[in-house]
Amino acid sequence: MSLAGSTPNRSAVELVDVTAGYWTADGFALRRFHPVLKGVSVTVRRGERVAIVGESGSGKTTLLRVVLGVLQPASGRVVVMGREIYRLPRRLRWTVTSRIGYVPQDPARSLNPRLKVRDIVMEPLERSDLTEREKMERVRDALRMVQLHESVLDYYPAQLSGGMMQRVLIARAVVHEPELLLLDEPTSALDVSIQAQVINLLNSIQRKLGCTMVVVTHDLPVAQYLADRAVLLHRGAVVEDVPFEELVRSPKSELAKLLIRSFSLVTSSANGR
Amino acid sequence: MGYEEPEGVVWAVRSVSLEVEEGEAFCLAGESGCGKSTLGSAIAGILPPHAVTRGELRVGGRLVIDGGRRDFEGVRGRVVTYVPQNPGSSLSPYLTIGEQFYYVLKSTRGLRRGEALAEAREHLRRVELDPSAVLERYPHELSGGMQQRAAIALALSTGARILVADEPTSALDAHLRFQVVELLRRLRREGGLTLIFISHDLLLASALCERGAIMYAGRVVEVGSMRDLMGRPAHPYTRMLVDAIPRLGDRRPPKSYPGEPPRPGEERPGCPFRDRCPSPLSRCAVEEPPSIPLDGGRNVACWLYA
Amino acid sequence: MSWGGERLGSLVGRAWRGSARFRAGVAMSLLILALAAVGPLVAPHPSEGMGQVPPDAAERAGRPPSLEFPMGTDSLGRDVLSRVLMGARLALVQVGTVVALSLAVGLLVGVLAAYYRGLVEAALTYATEVFLALPAIVVALALRLALGQGFHTLVLSLILSWWPWYARASFVYARSVVEMDYVLLARLAGVPDRIILLRHVLRNVVQPVLVQAITDLGSVLLEASAINFLGLGLEPDAPDWGIIAQNGFKYVTSMPWISLFPGLFILLTALGFSLVGDALREGLDPRLRRRWRLWF
Repeated sequence: MSLAGSTPNRSAVELVDVTAGYWTADGFALRRFHPVLKGVSVTVRRGERVAIVGESGSGKTTLLRVVLGVLQPASGRVVVMGREIYRLPRRLRWTVTSRIGYVPQDPARSLNPRLKVRDIVMEPLERSDLTEREKMERVRDALRMVQLHESVLDYYPAQLSGGMMQRVLIARAVVHEPELLLLDEPTSALDVSIQAQVINLLNSIQRKLGCTMVVVTHDLPVAQYLADRAVLLHRGAVVEDVPFEELVRSPKSELAKLLIRSFSLVTSSANGR
Repeated sequence: MGYEEPEGVVWAVRSVSLEVEEGEAFCLAGESGCGKSTLGSAIAGILPPHAVTRGELRVGGRLVIDGGRRDFEGVRGRVVTYVPQNPGSSLSPYLTIGEQFYYVLKSTRGLRRGEALAEAREHLRRVELDPSAVLERYPHELSGGMQQRAAIALALSTGARILVADEPTSALDAHLRFQVVELLRRLRREGGLTLIFISHDLLLASALCERGAIMYAGRVVEVGSMRDLMGRPAHPYTRMLVDAIPRLGDRRPPKSYPGEPPRPGEERPGCPFRDRCPSPLSRCAVEEPPSIPLDGGRNVACWLYA
Repeated sequence: MSWGGERLGSLVGRAWRGSARFRAGVAMSLLILALAAVGPLVAPHPSEGMGQVPPDAAERAGRPPSLEFPMGTDSLGRDVLSRVLMGARLALVQVGTVVALSLAVGLLVGVLAAYYRGLVEAALTYATEVFLALPAIVVALALRLALGQGFHTLVLSLILSWWPWYARASFVYARSVVEMDYVLLARLAGVPDRIILLRHVLRNVVQPVLVQAITDLGSVLLEASAINFLGLGLEPDAPDWGIIAQNGFKYVTSMPWISLFPGLFILLTALGFSLVGDALREGLDPRLRRRWRLWF
């Protein structure tokens, strides 16, 4: 396989001036382009914990799809784990994406209702050359990592609670020991007590695997726990890209100030009353 | 209160005794499955036909639930009104905002079109929406925040003095949430509203409400002022909720406890929280704790305080 | 959509407990199945059932129902009871074959169109639209001229007009399944397309379409009977209920029993299958409306 487009540096994800969006029909035979990401440049180094923070419509989901190799940008370069993923033909992109662990936002849409947990978690191992026994071992390890009991192996998704579904998704994402973990709103649908569990869980997994972790969320305090650096996205553009302490101490963009106000005003008004 | 299901009755709310004073902002807090929505629906008079009730409920001085009988005539809409989580549920997608006001005002107060629209303008201004921009629009043409404000305006247009808001901010972006809370605060001050605020977000609720009740598995486990609940939680579950709240600027990881809230319908003897409680007594597995009064108008349902 | 996750077994269980219609339908269908299984063995005059005219035909012809011939005899002297009993098996074989093959083709077309999109989708949906427009009876007419009478003609004409319904239903369900994140996750993991189609797409599309197919068994029977009645399908001597009814059509005022009994059985069978399918479909998603299709 040619090495065209591989960059031997220490980056896990690199987006350089990426513009991406979708097309709609415009009149008879024409199509119109609606850009969602406009000239976005982000670099995530190996082992980093980064949060992409934005509200609905900011383009954070589109960014994820670009990184995953499923949405070709209209312009710009996308390098994932050293490979320019869009230079690869579609049927070969899995060679890159199989080293990623992706946890989508909605557990209800991310679990095949006709498959048992065992088969769901084992799927990423299919392309590897492990024996059946080794695969089961890995599956058991993954379940342990997310603190689920082995008995869930024979459950169907309909029998799982929201928190358990989320953990199964995380288990599936880590069973093949990925180098990059991508999470889309991992805690938004969870009760607050379970949210805390999952936050701690994700951090311990990231420490154990030593992987790069990118979390997309609108929840700034949650992002703070899961990342060291924050990339703020607003209407398709990066408005701020700084370590968290700096963001909280001296926010520069309007969005950052607004978010911080919204989240801590509530805290202070609650404490002050 | 519960619901009639093929397998039997699923009790969503169990032996709850609460009092909310006029003009108060009261919060019903808890996680999914705790029964707060059912309780809120009951107060607003919108329990579904297959609901089952026991006990008494008085709203605005009127007895509306008496054992199995429910009579909300004249109360629903006029005395108590409701704002749901998803503004899409309370705003009909087929009518413009103006038309929605017209139908509501016509049926509750018998107003004619002109009068209804004039009132609608008033109400929309009170929620900081520009009537000329909004009256002619359909709900899906408005942003989420605007939809929610319109829903609040619509709910209040009936002249009701009690507002039940069921997770009104959960579907909104972060900065909009606080704006809605600010709005509700202002409306309360100006209109002397009694507010029942249902939420899983304790922090947000504490910015708006003075008193609150924490619910778990259909029961009220603690009642008290929001300051007490957040600052010195008595019930272990309240403490767990408070510990789990992510706070900006505080990089310590949130304290997490194992286990999950039980699903409605799962019933076992004793205190429902004992599996997750960090300090269970042997009594907790056998008997359900009663509501025990503490200082400062607080009540806790926990054997630790017996 | 609310079909996700419910296994067929629990669906059946729920329908059984909840719906009297379902139980009635199952009873009727089982009755017919039993007839199909043992009918040929207990028929008093099996050879007449298959169409042979008995030697003492002249005396026997046209007798109304009696103890000796519970359903009477037809104009050629054949025992109607035997013919009807043999017909049960034939009816089920015809209907089963048609539905099974239409389902197979329809599923394949719908799923492939939804998964591959683009040119494949355009071509397949176009073909589906074209075939949707063909009424079975017209197709039967054409095939009758081209291929002559027989089982193959009947089955082929029905399949050609029924598969597009399943293709369209499969396409609609498959389209939403293909958008699901679990399909995306499988692609990211490098799972080959054909396995994704089988394990994720097909598995989730089959159930609602299958329920539709079960409901259709009744309609297919009616349509097959109609085609046979018109002489466009099976041979005139075959013990098909439609054909028996056709035999008695000329004498419907003087010897009504010849058409009456097979007609009754057609009704019973179609009703039984429809009730079963309807109750299953309601259990699946109470909001699905019935697609009313009798014979065109």
